[in-house]
Amino acid sequence: MDIVRFREDVWGREVLLGISWELLWVVLALAFAAIIIHLLVMAVLRKQPRPSAEGRRITRHDVYDRLFHWTMAISVLVLLFTGVMPVLGIDFAWLTIHWVAGLVLTAVVLLHVVRAVFFQGISTMVVTPADLKEPFEKSVKPGKYSLAQKGMHHAMTALVLLVIVTGLLLFAVMDTPWWERSNALSEATLGWVFVLHGLSTLGLIGLTALHVYFALRPEKRFYTRSMLSGWISENEFAANHDPARWAPDEPV
Amino acid sequence: MATHDVMPDIELFQPVTVEDASAIAERLGRTGWILAGGQDTYGWLKDRAKSPSAMIDLAAIENLQGISASGEGISIGAMTTLRDIIRDPLITERFPVLSQAAARVASPQIRNQGTIGGNVSQDARCWYYRRGLSCYRAGGNLCYADTPTSMNREHAIFGASRCVAVSPSDTATALVALDATMVIHTPGGEKRVSAEKFFVGPAVNITHMTVLRPGDILTSIEIPDTWAGVESYFEKVADRDVWDFALVSIAAVMKTKAGVIEDSRFVCGAVECVPHRLTEVERAVRGQPRNAQTGDLVAGYAGRGARTLAHNQFKVPLAENLVRRALRT
Repeated sequence: MDIVRFREDVWGREVLLGISWELLWVVLALAFAAIIIHLLVMAVLRKQPRPSAEGRRITRHDVYDRLFHWTMAISVLVLLFTGVMPVLGIDFAWLTIHWVAGLVLTAVVLLHVVRAVFFQGISTMVVTPADLKEPFEKSVKPGKYSLAQKGMHHAMTALVLLVIVTGLLLFAVMDTPWWERSNALSEATLGWVFVLHGLSTLGLIGLTALHVYFALRPEKRFYTRSMLSGWISENEFAANHDPARWAPDEPV
Repeated sequence: MATHDVMPDIELFQPVTVEDASAIAERLGRTGWILAGGQDTYGWLKDRAKSPSAMIDLAAIENLQGISASGEGISIGAMTTLRDIIRDPLITERFPVLSQAAARVASPQIRNQGTIGGNVSQDARCWYYRRGLSCYRAGGNLCYADTPTSMNREHAIFGASRCVAVSPSDTATALVALDATMVIHTPGGEKRVSAEKFFVGPAVNITHMTVLRPGDILTSIEIPDTWAGVESYFEKVADRDVWDFALVSIAAVMKTKAGVIEDSRFVCGAVECVPHRLTEVERAVRGQPRNAQTGDLVAGYAGRGARTLAHNQFKVPLAENLVRRALRT
């Protein structure tokens, strides 16, 4: 199985084209395997009673953060669909939809970075020594975000930033309503850009699969609800978070 | 540079039924090559730009040949030679635009051997692509033709989307004008696709010119009587009168009553990766008399939306003039 694709041109030069799409099946298989293993482990483990959703409500995500999350989610799904379906042989005019979704993703990510860094503070996402104890000590509860959630966020951040940067490079050399295509990037450079764009795409496919799985897990579903409605219940808060590490805003 | 002194090993299959041919083609996938008249094939092989390990020769399949009339039109076997299409009275009397288009393909020798199925299925003729460079159409990341210094006077002015190759088939233009239907045998059964949808632009699929995939075989082309016996016009402008691809071509069919155009189809060739319907011209001429004044009135629509390259701006006035010539009596 190849990791990347090459092509030999008429002068016998090897030209790097991009990743081998056989890796897509590897990523899907790995994600599927991880999900199945987790399902089995959770089926065996003793089920904890779930905290009630009744009672006082605590704000977890305000409307701007929810808007950002879902806009980003839709744009990532559209990007994955339009980018991967043609590779699988499903023909349609995908390119314009792809770059429009890419620009939407770039815009919301920029807005999120500005908001998170300058208005919200990034401390809730920083991994601390206390976070590292979570998997090993049941008595240690997380702040607003658990170690797993922070890990998912950081991994997504790295992949999304990589896919955006490489995507913008490709966007800069293609025909758009604002400029004509150019050969500003050499064939060799384009090959590397496509490799990085492809690898980050595969990473996003795997992480998105895991993210959606955990979002649907029964014991995590209240987090998914909070990303739609903005709140978790006081009981859910008490059961899953340390009030000393996260003091939520006024209740909903 | 690839050497040309040794003939490569190629396995030859000569099936006698379409089902066998399709099964072999599906099994071989990209390593197999469907062979009709060979006029597109041998150029690829001689340049060593393509190297299939097996050929599937359709010449022995009898029901792929011939022209027959049905109650609603005619059916042309995909292996029918262009020479037969030029001479057959079913076509010359009812669909002369097609026989005129076939008569302008290449040269007499090529028309004796070349088939209509092969003519519509032929690959792009962009020399950068044909020479074996790793362009978008070849699965690469660049277009060599769309640069300020490229040799691109023969390339597209519409619908580029990263690749600027044009549809090289003369008969394709006429078949789209006649609203033909392509009958395709696929591993999953028979599929019927309108001629207009048979050809695929780079926005949809940049590595294929048609909807045909490994295992698919174009078996026949059906032309309905909708445009039988109507006024028609075909003209191909090329650097040479013989054995050359079009710079721009036009195929037009017009239903007229007392000299007034009731309905029409205008199709330009060699301006886009697919035969280019001139729908604005069609709308503009409806209800207008077929004459030079109408031609002058609507010719400008032919070039609307064109995006020219460094060396093919002439194609816009050329297309407009062909519309004028199609409309004058």
